[in-house]
Amino acid sequence: MNMAVNLGGISMNNPVTTASGTFGFGLEYQPYVALQRLGAIIVKGTTLKPRLGNPPPRIAETPSGMLNAIGLQNPGVERVAEEIMPRLAALGVPVIVNIAGDTVEDYAQVARRLDSVPGVAGLEVNISCPNVKKGGIQFGSDPYTAAEVTRAVKASAGLPVIVKLSPNVTDLVTMAEAVAGAGADALSMINTLLGMAIDVDRRRPVLGNITGGLSGPAVRPVAVRAVWQVHRALPLLPILGMGGIMTARDALEFILAGATAVAVGTGNFVNPRATLDVVEGIEQYMIDHGFVDISELVGLAQRYPNKE
Amino acid sequence: MSQLVQAEITDCREPAPGVWVTEFLAPSLAQAAMPGQFLHIRCGEGSDPLLRRPISIHSVDRLSGRMKIMFQVVGKGTAWLAGRRDGFLDIMGPLGRGFTVFTGEQASHNYNRFIVVGGGIGAAPLYFLLQEIARAGHAQRVKVLLGARNAHQLLIPDAAEELGFAVRVATDDGSAGHRGLVTDLLAEELQRKPDYVYACGPSPMLKVLCAMLNDAGVPGEVSVEERMACGVGACLSCVCRVKDANGMEIYRHACVDGPVFSAGEVIW
Repeated sequence: MNMAVNLGGISMNNPVTTASGTFGFGLEYQPYVALQRLGAIIVKGTTLKPRLGNPPPRIAETPSGMLNAIGLQNPGVERVAEEIMPRLAALGVPVIVNIAGDTVEDYAQVARRLDSVPGVAGLEVNISCPNVKKGGIQFGSDPYTAAEVTRAVKASAGLPVIVKLSPNVTDLVTMAEAVAGAGADALSMINTLLGMAIDVDRRRPVLGNITGGLSGPAVRPVAVRAVWQVHRALPLLPILGMGGIMTARDALEFILAGATAVAVGTGNFVNPRATLDVVEGIEQYMIDHGFVDISELVGLAQRYPNKE
Repeated sequence: MSQLVQAEITDCREPAPGVWVTEFLAPSLAQAAMPGQFLHIRCGEGSDPLLRRPISIHSVDRLSGRMKIMFQVVGKGTAWLAGRRDGFLDIMGPLGRGFTVFTGEQASHNYNRFIVVGGGIGAAPLYFLLQEIARAGHAQRVKVLLGARNAHQLLIPDAAEELGFAVRVATDDGSAGHRGLVTDLLAEELQRKPDYVYACGPSPMLKVLCAMLNDAGVPGEVSVEERMACGVGACLSCVCRVKDANGMEIYRHACVDGPVFSAGEVIW
């Protein structure tokens, strides 16, 4: 049975990775997860300079989901390259670094710095963080700037580039086409949905940042739809699907919709072993249903007679 | 090293209105746990509530492998937990940095007189600390101060006395002990120049307490509570503002840098 996939130039032993911001810099979950068994590890959003992040409270639980407003807290690209990557590289698992910036040049500089760092297998370009004032989603809500960031990162590094799209746009397919045209090797979708919670007893917003990004099972139908639509429009562009994946069956929805690989995010917080449970569950599903190569499943649900 | 275990529930009771104590069998956790650390417990089988609940360790019996958690029912997750009479709990732990327990030379020479201050449900993790202090044979050096809204809500005074500690209590309505705040009792005790203070309780209490310790020049440790998702330092949600060694304001994470912080470093 073959579980290996190629995500836009990144070779993964299986299609399961971790969503940025939910797995720290990879080592936090080592007591629970044999990291070598993951298809890849996607680490925390990394910026040129260290960032402190947003004031607390930074999370709020919602029905079947959570809102977060971390604000890209990270130690900066230099420390990631010098101190964190050597430890991750030793694991022998492809590491994808999520990068973010305030300006197009920031993205380019972070990409340039990471280009030759051992262990970095690819870059995930975050143009969709809803929790930062500059950068983040402002790049991801306009096809022209999204393409500009993508081109800048591609020009700055030889690494495979995955662009992470926001669901908070009117026309996701146009965004996908724009970044694909600018050279993106793959797409990640979806980032969190912009949301908010209000503390009724105290009559004020729960989060210090007022609004936050919604994740967890509550967003899964939105994410599956996004993957479905973009895969239909751009069937050759690999997609990393994510949004509320807790189990193998959840992950299979994304793969059947057209995702080449999947990322577990909030699910890690609930079940620290969620990634491995997903790997094992997909394997079992393939055995049970007689599939020998994971690629047979990618986009299979799209073959369903189209009644549109 | 923290672990993920399925722990069998062996007992469940409500010692005070809305406050529950659940006992379970978890020998490997019991061996590893230190006072002030917490457990991250899955509450419910589905996705609502979604996130685990961080709950401090209330007591540990290393010989039998039994542990207890004491918690207040405040929402969906804790209500579910309070409803468990048997079966298994899905627990990650032990997590976080706990209290410094002084032993041997250090306890004898530098730290002789301790005060332990608990406010409301904040008394829960302090009982495990008292167990360890008593086990080290230092109970007679410690004064325990407990505060609550009323006599019914006072937690652990009898259990602390049974371990050999001198206990003073304060209640808002005067139904037991001093009428007023537990920090009133602390003000009296600080006159006698204690060497070290441990505390856990609501933020307003800890804020006052840290200021008092600062004024008196007495060191100590406080256990803080923050909203938390992962419990292992990955999500960066449970931030606490502290002063670093150079006096700069930085965020630390209650789950891995705490929940116990030095009283002097927390910025309230």
